[in-house]
Amino acid sequence: MKTLVVIREKDYEWLYPVFPGVHPLLVPVCNKPYAEFLIDFAILAGSNAIRFVSDGQLGGLEHYCENGSRWGIEISYASMLGDEDLETVIDKNRRYCSADRILCISGFVFIRYNKQHDYKKLIASLSPGEFISCSHGSLSLLGNTGNIDNSAEKPELSLVGLDSTGVYYRLSVEILKCGSSPYVLPGYSSEADCHIGRNVVMSKSTEIRKPVIIGNNVQLLAGSVVGPDSVIGSNVIIDRESTIIGSIVLDNTYIGENLDLENRIAAGNILIEPESGASLAMEDPHLLTGIKKRGGGGTVFQTFVHLFVAVLLITIMLVPFALLFPILRLQGKWHESSNTYYTSSSGKTLTLTTVAIDRSGPLSALALALSLDRFALLFRVLGGQLAIIGSQPVAATPGSRMVLERMTGYRAGVFSYAEAEEWPVNGGDTAIVELFYAAHGTPLQDVVMTFKAFFNRIHE
Amino acid sequence: MIIIEKICHNITVVALQGTLDSCSSSQLHYYSSPSVTEVPLVIDLSNLDFLDSSGLGALVEIARKKREKGSDVKLACMNDKVRKVFEITQAYRLFDIYDDVEAAAVNAGNKKNSL
Repeated sequence: MKTLVVIREKDYEWLYPVFPGVHPLLVPVCNKPYAEFLIDFAILAGSNAIRFVSDGQLGGLEHYCENGSRWGIEISYASMLGDEDLETVIDKNRRYCSADRILCISGFVFIRYNKQHDYKKLIASLSPGEFISCSHGSLSLLGNTGNIDNSAEKPELSLVGLDSTGVYYRLSVEILKCGSSPYVLPGYSSEADCHIGRNVVMSKSTEIRKPVIIGNNVQLLAGSVVGPDSVIGSNVIIDRESTIIGSIVLDNTYIGENLDLENRIAAGNILIEPESGASLAMEDPHLLTGIKKRGGGGTVFQTFVHLFVAVLLITIMLVPFALLFPILRLQGKWHESSNTYYTSSSGKTLTLTTVAIDRSGPLSALALALSLDRFALLFRVLGGQLAIIGSQPVAATPGSRMVLERMTGYRAGVFSYAEAEEWPVNGGDTAIVELFYAAHGTPLQDVVMTFKAFFNRIHE
Repeated sequence: MIIIEKICHNITVVALQGTLDSCSSSQLHYYSSPSVTEVPLVIDLSNLDFLDSSGLGALVEIARKKREKGSDVKLACMNDKVRKVFEITQAYRLFDIYDDVEAAAVNAGNKKNSL
């Protein structure tokens, strides 16, 4: 027997925007591509060859399934025109359909079956024609009748039309709850309702609640909770303290720390509410946007803006500095030290006097709030040696020179972008934030960020 | 390229063998000439080893001219190499593609009779 799978593009084209980059026939249902469920059923029904026919592109499917040797069957592919009926499609594949019996799966449907039942007997017992259908497709038989046995047992078999994210989500949860009893699911399963793939790294504090399916190359970091009713795809990272309940995380997705995902589908940077189909694209502005090239004229204007802001801040800080500096100096709370720093990514160095103020006492707190420790550095902006806002100055050492070479756009500033964004100054993410603004910042944005950094220090 | 012409169910079947590229595509110009455009045609691609954009252009040209005259061209027995070109270029949307020459000829004949 052979199987002919006829799927029209209009039936599955809704999947293109939902799961971009995945061929609709390879959309994972419980970590198993949809097409594999069809192949499994065809094999259970006794087919030794399958032909996929579609009016859409089949390149992605062909790349995955190849000639079917992985399943021990012969898989072929054919094209059709979008408005053709099933009869025409069969006629166009007459040579293939010349076998004794043809099982024809028409439409973008999921076949509910149970691998423990004998579908070969069922197929043999049926007369030609459609034997099961739903609003989105059907299963039919072509070819000679053979020995029809109407008394044969009728095993479990039904169709689900895949036409929305809601159906997809409910189907995935349904399969998950059934476990490996009716379907062949990927991954190791030493206990029921829990399938775990290869190379899964779990922290000691990770909690897994059944039923759950986890793909290959997954990292579950400290404090993460996965399940119940959750499907985690391959190449997924669930970061610290995140909770995944009743959700599907598709392949190649990163779930950031301290996130709670409940009854959602996460695919790459897209988060989908399954029932309404509403989706939200999450874009990390620091990591995911392309780098824009700044024009040459912008640099001159930026320098002018920096000078203007420096003059403004000197004017604001002059009186408090004149009053507080002598007092703090006499109290021994004003500490100065000199060090050499890189001022730009080209490797230019500058010796700067940096100030540390003891935090004890109201005057010290006031001086720090007004950023008086940066007062002297503002004059370096007037000299064009420092930016009013930029990267935190990197000390000139042989080791840091190598780091500097990788920091395109580095420019030391009196205030840093990380301070403006309230990132921990010594955190690993600081460099990303600073380099992002170094590449994307505009002169006016620099003004905003400078005052943001200035006011953030008041709040501290 | 070798072109073998035969008649199947009163329809001309053209079997292409070898390479259909910029050098050999001119050999197909006869089938898009005014004298034969009104006759349906089946092109058997089972023995076509190579197809490039010029070859594909020649097939599209034949189909276009035939359709202008109310006739058509059917493609049959596409092998994997040729099918991949049709897949990449999405040219399968432009043709009726059969896996059997006889079925293609019968359908081309039916269309001819209905005209």
